[in-house]
Amino acid sequence: MAALAILRRDLKRYLRNPLRTALLFSLPLVMAAIFAVVFGGGVDEISIKVLLWDEDESLLSMLAGGAANSGEAGQQLDVVPVGDEGLAMMDRGEASALVHIPSGFTDDFLAGRKTTIDVVKNPAERFLPLIVEEGAGIGGSVLSAASRVFRPELEQIHGLMSAEGFPSDLAVAGLSSGVNSRLNGLQEIIFPPIITLETVTVATEDIGEVEDVGILAIFLPGLAVMGTLFLAQSATRDILRDREAGLLRHLLTAPVSPGDYLLGKCLSVIMVTAAGFALMTVVGAAMGVSWGPPVATAALILATALAASGTLLLIMSLVGSERQGDTLTTIVIIVWSMLGGAFMPLDQMPGFLRPLSTSTLVFWSTDAFNTLILHGGGLADILPNLGVLFAAGAVFLGTGAFVLGRRIRRGAI
Amino acid sequence: MIRIDRLRKCYDALVAVDDISFDVHDGEIFGLLGPNGAGKTTTISMICGVLQPDGGRVLIDERNIWVEPKKVKRDLGVVPQEIAVYEDLTARDNLSFWGSLYGLSGTELTHRIDETLSRVGLAERAGDKVKTFSGGMKRRLNLCMGLLHRPKFLLLDEPTVGIDPQARLNILEVIREVAAAGTTVLYTTHYMDEAEQLCDRIAIIDHGRILALGTLAELTRRAGEAEVLRLTGPFADESLRERLACIPGARILGFGDGSAVLAIELDGPGLLEILPRVLEADLGIEDVSIQRPNLQSVFIALTGRDLRD
Repeated sequence: MAALAILRRDLKRYLRNPLRTALLFSLPLVMAAIFAVVFGGGVDEISIKVLLWDEDESLLSMLAGGAANSGEAGQQLDVVPVGDEGLAMMDRGEASALVHIPSGFTDDFLAGRKTTIDVVKNPAERFLPLIVEEGAGIGGSVLSAASRVFRPELEQIHGLMSAEGFPSDLAVAGLSSGVNSRLNGLQEIIFPPIITLETVTVATEDIGEVEDVGILAIFLPGLAVMGTLFLAQSATRDILRDREAGLLRHLLTAPVSPGDYLLGKCLSVIMVTAAGFALMTVVGAAMGVSWGPPVATAALILATALAASGTLLLIMSLVGSERQGDTLTTIVIIVWSMLGGAFMPLDQMPGFLRPLSTSTLVFWSTDAFNTLILHGGGLADILPNLGVLFAAGAVFLGTGAFVLGRRIRRGAI
Repeated sequence: MIRIDRLRKCYDALVAVDDISFDVHDGEIFGLLGPNGAGKTTTISMICGVLQPDGGRVLIDERNIWVEPKKVKRDLGVVPQEIAVYEDLTARDNLSFWGSLYGLSGTELTHRIDETLSRVGLAERAGDKVKTFSGGMKRRLNLCMGLLHRPKFLLLDEPTVGIDPQARLNILEVIREVAAAGTTVLYTTHYMDEAEQLCDRIAIIDHGRILALGTLAELTRRAGEAEVLRLTGPFADESLRERLACIPGARILGFGDGSAVLAIELDGPGLLEILPRVLEADLGIEDVSIQRPNLQSVFIALTGRDLRD
């Protein structure tokens, strides 16, 4: 069969040109790898390294350092005690931020004098130092408020700490009593809080409960579909080269119809795009993305590859030159990817764009991946998507073969 | 036999092939000679079933290629004007792919590839990528692709364009061998010498029309002249043209910029009498060249133009 001969020839060409083949796969793989490295493992595993340079070494500063290392903050923060070498470490970019508590900080705080906590940020990082800065700012605000509310008691503590020897029982009891009565006075103001925050996860009938899968699993499928389209673009460019070099016309002097030719090209493009997509799923899986049932995922990859190949082959059959083909296919890929959910989750899209989304093959593919990954769906749940993708691929391929054959017979190619 | 019957192809207002008819008999080498743009490639594209004619029909062994394309194409071998090979594959890979399109496989395919490559002197380069080949080697490989499946009819569209004389001789020799083995050959060219050396019969084509058809001897006789005189001089001057036209026994074929072309008529006084009359007519002639009758002179006689113009 001529189509299989064309498929074998194309595969041989990929094998004979390993560098070209590697370059072909590099774009989607690099995209997936970068995305996986940036967002891999989910937000929960992000750890912020903070250097704590505590020159005060007082009870208060040690309490602050201990608080940062305990509870939920302890899971996100990696607080490393340092001396003045901390500044050199920051110069080398070894941490997201350095928090400096100056000598005499506690003394000044208790005495009601103005004092400062310094935060040195790593300019090479964008978000993590901001989190440390915000945290330090909130800590400073709390301490400032406490300084104002408990001013008499804090001055009393300052006096006790400045005095020689241990404080008397009477002084400690007086201090305790004062703090207690101050808290009682504030109780009506502070407790219960006027505004409380409650977080509720809504489960609708259509969507079902969304699994907590991490940001990589949300975005990687759309990105992989876009990568597949770019892969198909590179692979289908051969048609234009065949045309422009006279190879296609020569091929059609053999017992080969335009349909045989396009089917052969489609098979080879499907092989390439499916292989590329499979590689991207492997990259995603290695970074912790659970793609869903293997059979459903494989069927979806195949359907996406067919749809991508059919679309690109149709466009390449319509255009007049390689430059036109590159321009038009790039526009289609970018617009489809934006509308179809490759750049943002489909449920985050404005309502007026959603009908447009469904007109793109990227939507039908990413929607199916969302069903598998985010909602724990199976093969039966994505059958409509598979149907649309397979049908669109077949229709586009058939139309492309018709158009190409017609143009060749008329001498337009 | 290939029968071309009132074949016609237009591109908008341009008539590329204008109701041409001819037969290519079994076992002969038939030449289609004409300048670039004459309609040779369009004709061959219609014969091999790639380009659909606007009128007329092509019958190959009485079968219409547009009715049963795959069956008819199995009997055709086509060597296009472009070098239609994959440069990133080896010569063997290219031929293996091409053979598989015609249903060849296994040891038979391997044997055919070896045989065909040996025939054109490329056996030692079978495993090399085509991009390492010279232009002449690529042309020979192009020819191999048309011969591999041992077609009954071989269509060659200017297969020697842009190659060195040695490679050209090799290609012409292979075509002679193939024809001697019984293959019917349709050969298009704009090289007169190739047509003269190779073809049993020749059709001269220009502006999409067949101007003359026959053996070399028939064509030169049909032109009706003994020799052609090409004169260089100030023939932009109308009075000089009129004086030249008055010389008996010579027929003016045409005028160019500073040149005139005359045909010496077969039944006239002959070159030895006419040439002195021309030179004595005080026409300001700077140079004279005499051409024996050949396809070039036939073409000039038919069109008033040089084949190279």
